[in-house]
Amino acid sequence: MASDKTYWKGIGELENPEMVEKLSSNEFPDEIPVEDFLTQQESQSSNTSRRDFLKFLGFSTAAATLAACEAPVIESIPYVVAPDKLVPGIASYYATTFDDGYDFASVLVKTREGRPIKFEPNKDAKYAGSINARVQASVLNLYDSTRLKDPVNNGEYSEWAPVDNGIKEGLEKAAASGKRIVVLSSSINSPSSKKVIKAFSEAYPNVSHVTVDAFSYSNALDASAEVFGVRAFPYFKFKKAAHIVSVGGDFLGDWIGQAVSADYATRRKPGKDMSRHIQIEANLSLTGSNSDIRHRVKPSEYGAVLAGIYNRIASATGNSSVSAPKSSIDAQLDAIANDLMEAKGQSLVICGGNDRNNWLLTYGINQMLGNFGKTIKHQKRNNLRQGNDKSFNSLLADMEAGRVGALFMVQTNPVYQSAQGQTFAKALEKVDCSVSFSDKFDETANLCKFVAAAHHPLESWNDSEPFTGYYSFMQPAIRPLFNTRQWQYCLLKWSGNDSDYQAFLKNNWSGREGISTDALFHDGYYTEKKEYDSETEPNAMTAMSSVKVAKPGEDTELVFYTKTGMGIGNLSNNPWLQELPDPISRVSWDNYLTISAAQAADLGLKNKNRSNGALDGSLVTLKHGDTTIENVPVLIQPGQAYGTVGLAVGYGRNGVGKAGDNVGVNAFAMMKAGMHSIGGVKIEQQDGWHQFACVQLHHTMMGRRIVQEITLDKFLNDPSATENGKGWNERTQFETIGEKLTSDKANLWSDFDHETGHFWNMSIDLNTCTGCGACVIACHAENNVPVVGKEEIRMSRDMHWLRIDRYYSSDMTKEKAAEEGVGSRKMYKAMEDPSASPEVVFQPVMCQHCNHAPCETVCPVAATVHSTEGLNHMAYNRCIGTRYCANNCPYKVRRFNWFLYTDNPDHFGVNYALNDDLGKMVLNPDVTVRTRGVMEKCSFCIQRIQLGKLEAKKEGRKVKDGDVQTACMQACDTGAIQFGDVNDPESKIAALKSDKRMYHLLEDVGTQPSVFYQTKVRNKNA
Amino acid sequence: MNKQRLFYQLLVGMFLMSMSLFAQDESELLGDPDNGKKIFTGQCAACHKLDKKAIGPALGGVAERRDMDWIIAWTRNNAQLRASGDKDAIAIFEEYNGSLMPAFEYLSEQDVKDIVAYTMAGAKPKPSPDDDKITTTEVGGDSDDGSIWIILGLAIFLIVLIAILVKVKNTLKVIKGDPTSSLLEDASVFTKVAVRNRKVITLFTIVVAIFLLNQLYWSLMSIGVEEGYQPEQPIAFSHKLHAGDNQIDCQYCHYGAEKGKHSNIPSVSVCMNCHQYVQEGPKHGEKEIDKIYAAVGFDRETSQYIEGYEKKPVKWVRIHNLPDLAYFSHAQHVNAGNIECQTCHGPVEEMEEVYQYSPLTMGWCINCHRETEVDTKENGYYEEMHEKLKAKHGTDKITVDMIGGLECGKCHY
Repeated sequence: MASDKTYWKGIGELENPEMVEKLSSNEFPDEIPVEDFLTQQESQSSNTSRRDFLKFLGFSTAAATLAACEAPVIESIPYVVAPDKLVPGIASYYATTFDDGYDFASVLVKTREGRPIKFEPNKDAKYAGSINARVQASVLNLYDSTRLKDPVNNGEYSEWAPVDNGIKEGLEKAAASGKRIVVLSSSINSPSSKKVIKAFSEAYPNVSHVTVDAFSYSNALDASAEVFGVRAFPYFKFKKAAHIVSVGGDFLGDWIGQAVSADYATRRKPGKDMSRHIQIEANLSLTGSNSDIRHRVKPSEYGAVLAGIYNRIASATGNSSVSAPKSSIDAQLDAIANDLMEAKGQSLVICGGNDRNNWLLTYGINQMLGNFGKTIKHQKRNNLRQGNDKSFNSLLADMEAGRVGALFMVQTNPVYQSAQGQTFAKALEKVDCSVSFSDKFDETANLCKFVAAAHHPLESWNDSEPFTGYYSFMQPAIRPLFNTRQWQYCLLKWSGNDSDYQAFLKNNWSGREGISTDALFHDGYYTEKKEYDSETEPNAMTAMSSVKVAKPGEDTELVFYTKTGMGIGNLSNNPWLQELPDPISRVSWDNYLTISAAQAADLGLKNKNRSNGALDGSLVTLKHGDTTIENVPVLIQPGQAYGTVGLAVGYGRNGVGKAGDNVGVNAFAMMKAGMHSIGGVKIEQQDGWHQFACVQLHHTMMGRRIVQEITLDKFLNDPSATENGKGWNERTQFETIGEKLTSDKANLWSDFDHETGHFWNMSIDLNTCTGCGACVIACHAENNVPVVGKEEIRMSRDMHWLRIDRYYSSDMTKEKAAEEGVGSRKMYKAMEDPSASPEVVFQPVMCQHCNHAPCETVCPVAATVHSTEGLNHMAYNRCIGTRYCANNCPYKVRRFNWFLYTDNPDHFGVNYALNDDLGKMVLNPDVTVRTRGVMEKCSFCIQRIQLGKLEAKKEGRKVKDGDVQTACMQACDTGAIQFGDVNDPESKIAALKSDKRMYHLLEDVGTQPSVFYQTKVRNKNA
Repeated sequence: MNKQRLFYQLLVGMFLMSMSLFAQDESELLGDPDNGKKIFTGQCAACHKLDKKAIGPALGGVAERRDMDWIIAWTRNNAQLRASGDKDAIAIFEEYNGSLMPAFEYLSEQDVKDIVAYTMAGAKPKPSPDDDKITTTEVGGDSDDGSIWIILGLAIFLIVLIAILVKVKNTLKVIKGDPTSSLLEDASVFTKVAVRNRKVITLFTIVVAIFLLNQLYWSLMSIGVEEGYQPEQPIAFSHKLHAGDNQIDCQYCHYGAEKGKHSNIPSVSVCMNCHQYVQEGPKHGEKEIDKIYAAVGFDRETSQYIEGYEKKPVKWVRIHNLPDLAYFSHAQHVNAGNIECQTCHGPVEEMEEVYQYSPLTMGWCINCHRETEVDTKENGYYEEMHEKLKAKHGTDKITVDMIGGLECGKCHY
């Protein structure tokens, strides 16, 4: 048997067990408020009698029927001249790149009849071919009608000619006065764009280029420069790392721009090669949730922890040690250092934050372990983070002193994204010619003289070199929707070069041997055998003498982090991302102060659940020095280190549109000196409660074996589990008259024929699922899933077809209770308690496509029926909305359209994907948009299955494994989700179905789902 | 690729057709204008007109301008003539921007003379006004209004007839000396007798009720069913002419049908593949083809596309409208299923104007799926499945419903 550890879904479960019980028996906890509207004064005082009402009803029904008899004339307007190779109804794919200065990915963009509708990973690309939730969702931002449609001249919409003239005048004036002309940008990794800046700096005197990253790694880059001789991060090779120790580095979330989860996952498959991952951190991050062993320390202690590891390895390898205070986890460090020593050359120690000392120590440890050139490829530079806070600060000083004549801001928003935002705003007034290249009238653009309305990446040309020798190319997939330009074109024009950027770019790449520019843009990437060769070998040891490890602080520390959905807030006005529940807290539409339960109790801060389950939290004011952030809601977060609180950046925006404005608070305001954590934060409780939109108490499956988990040792060495359904993966046997039977044998139903034709199945590997949420957004984009908004989420009416459940573990187990003689009542009570530092598991749950589906039997109109291919079909137009199916579904995956979410801008206008003519361009034309009153759910992307089969039929061949990929499978860069036809013996899915880790969710119920899970294996000492 | 191939097939077809005409009609007469006409329409009309410039010069009265030997030499191999340094030949070649005229070496001298005879006799007059009349009645589709007038006329006739009969009856009565009665009095007497008779009333009520219910049922059932829908189209395009008489393959124009879900309405650029050359139609002359030129910006006089022309799309009226909730793929039926277009769309090649042939109801779909055999032949997709299905159903005839063709999710998602 697998361990029977209990997972609980939230702090509310702990505090209010009755509520949980009530919730678990009711999927939709709220009664329809009939009483409310029936007892309203107006309706009672109305003098419409019942007879009159019926007359009106009859008349309007008849009128509507008559009106419906007349068919409307539908026009069908073909192209006058059909574009080459465009066949209506068939999607075209183009390789391009997403780069907004923060997120980077080589992508394929799916277009239908000329409209880009979805981003898909470019799986051929070797380096940046995996895309996160934000990149997936960014296609919607293209159709945001609040984007700037024209350039802005002194706060008024204008045309390009006066803006060009005004800026040229400003530039000449600045040049004449001898003031600085500055291009301020986020990290630019494009060789051609850098050439544009160079051309610009040659056209005018005194031009400089300043780079600033919103989530700064400036000091870390300085440390890298000391070690490698180049101010850039090296390339981290997680594929080669057998032993990973991360001190505060959230590499599965957002780290230094390099997406590592696919590489990381290759070593997370259970077996002898499985890596061990130890995370030491303050906030419970996505990375910490996926680690094998996690320790909680305060950020000010990271130095002491790293120094502790450093000194232990130094003494073992005969190096000199550094002086450092003791850390609180010194007792564990011996084992960590020993493990690292055993995995010399195959280990990886990384850190997070922006502290020079910590990064030097990290590099030092890796050097002593012989990891340079192996797990850390210093020959390959990471160009995604280049920000330099020192030059930004001197720019700011120059601006304040009036020494800056012209300022051009590219993909950056310092008024919002900097702790010195207010200072910057004031200093901006002293700049004669301030220009922001922005697609929104955002915080900085609002204060600039000119706003050069910018393209979306899907309208732009560019190249990029995120890693040395790896190039990725951006090409437009649609004509610019508005009167916008890309910044490179503007700078070229203003420096007197009238060629467009496309020609400039192609010119840059043409004439190279063996490269055709057409091929580059067709493939979207190009890999060159080029390695950065430093003259000297990297050496971290020389810098060690300057390392000073500070004593851990005593006061409360505030840790800044980026949320999976929001990042640094570039894409704030994206309702899909706003509604994506955070993987850890499962709260959407908010940022909040995460705090440990113990500290919350000390400060009198609380979370409570309303009668309908909705979560409320205390409000606090954060104070640090002269900075104050008010109205910060508090969320009690298990796994948070005592003495620390966390707050996500990317929220509290202004001027970006309905979905993004005034959601949460701006944490950048307190992110002083670019540090990722600050000490000495004062937390003062405010009056009132904050209303969270949390899906945490939703669909409770408490107290049952939902996520199956074992240790690696047991997986490798337990001889009883030779095949599926034996040993630790034993299935429940039911007593029958004859013999004991498993649930699939002990049933009253006749089986469907799944031998003939296809039998589609899905496997979800709980080991490699990191909970990143890319699949949820992919599902949104593919299946036109509506967004319901914060209020409706509070009513537990979220519409996600695919959710990722997150469970915390508890120390109490049945074995422990038996050992210690704890009674069952006490045991279950204790099972609700989280361990001091909980282990976390993620479990994506979508419709399980049961082959004995409880929903099918209860539908009075047969709107949901079974197919011969193992799918559970849902016919929306047949559904009359009884919701019996949702009530009868043990997995709680059916979603009901309580309201009209489409063409209802008064109530759901926040979701412009369904309520705005421009926004609707993102809809997938192959999937019906559902109306009010019908049930919907995961369809296994049936439109893709049908397409895959049709292509095979057209070519007269069988469906090949991999031809049909659901949107979630395609989005999953770790390969945790696999889909295919189990009747094809060659397929991956057939092998996975007989894997000894395979189990069905709630198998005892006897639903025989088509979705199965692979047991989670944790590499820890039992 | 496919477009081009079909286009060449078309050209070759036209060529062969003309050849056969030529072979059939071996006129002994010197300069037979009838034979000349046949050759002209088959070979020359794509580029030449009699009365005005097309791709090449107008040929009406060409013999008045050129010497017969020169005409023969030019027609049979104009390149050779130009190569020989003939000034007239070079001049005409340059006047028409160097558009190449193919060599017609297979035309005998007599043939060329026949053509010239035809050009001297002149073309037939322009399409007669009668043709236009036909067009308006057809496109207008006034037939419904006409029948109403007929009914109205009949009704008036009957009323007058009744009035006359009443008058006759009364006149007879007057003659007889009986009191006269008006039409209304007669009717009320009849009604009183009928109303007193319960059996008549019951029978009448039942008949009326059945009639009304039947009408109601069928009118409700036909809501949204647009069988026979034949809207007026912006261009009087004749499928009969194109698909029927000229035998153009359906998928030459509707090329999306075998590839994807839509059988696309062709863009004007597809029309232009032929109508760049075929500039007049048999029925409407230039009128309808000019609409294509207006859309794409093509100058009939110079036979050139107008540069910088703002193109105007043609707003066709969609005839076959499936509700959005039904997913229908043409490729599945046309390509994978090998179903003829006519199975659902009817005899389009006989339709002057297309109308909706099938009801396009779900019942109609389902019926067809129950009856239609899956075309498993030589399709690797079905190979293994077919064997299993044969064993399972014990029959060689595998219909669409046996492979899940009746399942909701196959069309509704």
